Amino acid sequence: MKKLATLRSSMPTSARLLFTLLLTIVALGITFSLTALDDSKLAGGAAIAIVIVGLSWLIGWSGQVSLGNSGFMAIGAYATAIWANHHATTPVVFTLLLATICGAAGGLVLALPSTRLRGPYLAGMTLAFSFAITPLALNFPSVTGGSGGLFLNFLSAPKWFANLFSGSQALIRANAQWSADVAIVVAAVAFFFMANLFHSRTGRAMRLIRDNDVAAELTGVNLQRTRTLAFVISAAYAGLGGSLLTLLTGSVSPQTYSLPLSILLLTLMVLGGIGTLSGAVLGGLIYSYSDNLVSLINKVTGISSASTFGANLKGIVFGVLLILTMLLAPRGLVGMGGRLLSLVKRRSAES
Amino acid sequence: MTETTQPILTLDVEGVSVRFGGLLALSDVSFSVAANEIVGLIGPNGAGKTTAFNVVCGFLAPSSGSVRFPALNAENLGPSQLAKAGIARTLQGVGLFDHLTVVENVMAGAQSRPGGGFLAGLFGLPVSSRRERALLGEAMTELDRLGISSFAKALPGGIPYGIAKKVAVARALMGRPRLLMLDEPASGLDESELSEFAQLITQLRETMSVLLVEHNMDFVMPLVDRLVVLDFGQVIASGTPDEIGTNEAVLAAYLGVDQ
Repeated sequence: MKKLATLRSSMPTSARLLFTLLLTIVALGITFSLTALDDSKLAGGAAIAIVIVGLSWLIGWSGQVSLGNSGFMAIGAYATAIWANHHATTPVVFTLLLATICGAAGGLVLALPSTRLRGPYLAGMTLAFSFAITPLALNFPSVTGGSGGLFLNFLSAPKWFANLFSGSQALIRANAQWSADVAIVVAAVAFFFMANLFHSRTGRAMRLIRDNDVAAELTGVNLQRTRTLAFVISAAYAGLGGSLLTLLTGSVSPQTYSLPLSILLLTLMVLGGIGTLSGAVLGGLIYSYSDNLVSLINKVTGISSASTFGANLKGIVFGVLLILTMLLAPRGLVGMGGRLLSLVKRRSAES
Repeated sequence: MTETTQPILTLDVEGVSVRFGGLLALSDVSFSVAANEIVGLIGPNGAGKTTAFNVVCGFLAPSSGSVRFPALNAENLGPSQLAKAGIARTLQGVGLFDHLTVVENVMAGAQSRPGGGFLAGLFGLPVSSRRERALLGEAMTELDRLGISSFAKALPGGIPYGIAKKVAVARALMGRPRLLMLDEPASGLDESELSEFAQLITQLRETMSVLLVEHNMDFVMPLVDRLVVLDFGQVIASGTPDEIGTNEAVLAAYLGVDQ
């Protein structure tokens, strides 16, 4: 017990950057071997992973529960579609940034009243926001396209990239892979910044207000400002994710961004592991392949997807998974993996 | 700050009253803490000690009167402004951050120091990671000084109470305070821990003033320079421990409560 604890100081930024680059290159490499269908699924998963990591930051780090992040996604999505319909040739990077800023601005507006609330009251406030988004979009059809939503040109591969592909369905494959690659790069940038925040003074301030707000204040943390910052960043990530999703699908509709999506995001975050980067990645992957899981269940059990029960099967599956995770692995798949790893380590140390 | 012939007060509480509805919790309370002085705030249960602490910390606004920190050029500070002004406070119980390791808890004490803002953190600028490393080193040194560095990676839930109290003090010291406010530092400690704690506080006075609220008279009497005795929200006496020990009003207040 007397031995001095050796401490690993956090990875320097250069190492983190290198690590991110490496992972990104590996992920990009993998997209080359995937089918067009898998590539587009992966692209959607990457967009959702961005939103999840923003939610994880808000809930896992600052301790504020939000059911409103689907609303911030909608802000990013509509900003993207509206902008694209007026300025067709804007570079993607600019569009994404614009949507991120719009999301952040929405977060700031909602944070002003919300960060004065705690626990269930905060959840209620964000829930109301979540509910408000769809009617809001429906009531301003001249801007939002009403119930039909808006359409825009989806991300398509530039010429040099498309030229890499030949044979049947070359263009479809090129476009699918291009969208996956763009989504992966955007997600990598978003995750890199989030990793930086996790290890910064701002990240620690979040954990302080989560654990003990009185003691946090005494160490000099401004509660109101820190809570607001957490909200704004989370909303910015949701805006970015919504924007990316819109660019991938080439459309936005008001029904997409309603309460069920917020609940789904929460579920995916818990499944992966709250407050972790890898948990958010896992959540995104689960989202990508949840349809496969559902159709597998359809096939095995013989439940028709046309029946009422079958149509709601996805929600039921996620509900069951959520309950199982809360009971068996409250820290999600990541926490479970960590526990297994330490178990194996201990076993091998004993033998 | 250099020594001056006329010592500037670190804390000056003047005529503070606090009213909770119809209840007068503090009535015209005045006391002060000079540089490098150890002052004890004592009194029977319900006398208003913690209320007085909370007023000094800005958790409570006084109904009348003023709280000033002349040596720090500050007055009427809010809770989150204290640390920056050079005032640290420990909480009754220990008030550690449950999901942060011991060393992270101590690092948190430097949260108010300038440097390493949001953007520097977001972009992972060298200044941010350099600052974090420096803080880590400093926190370890502080833990070492208190002889508890072997607990650095433990979580607060898994360490003995006496150690947790030291961690809370280490965290307070990371803010490099000029005034350290200790809320019941002796509660829950055993004999050997008590004398260790008294020794530590005596060391700290070299660089700061200490104001403490305490029940344990055996702990307080030999430690402090001056005592301020509260009863029913009023200062009934103040002076050196010797003077207080023979003060009849104080004895009456304590005996009156004890029976």
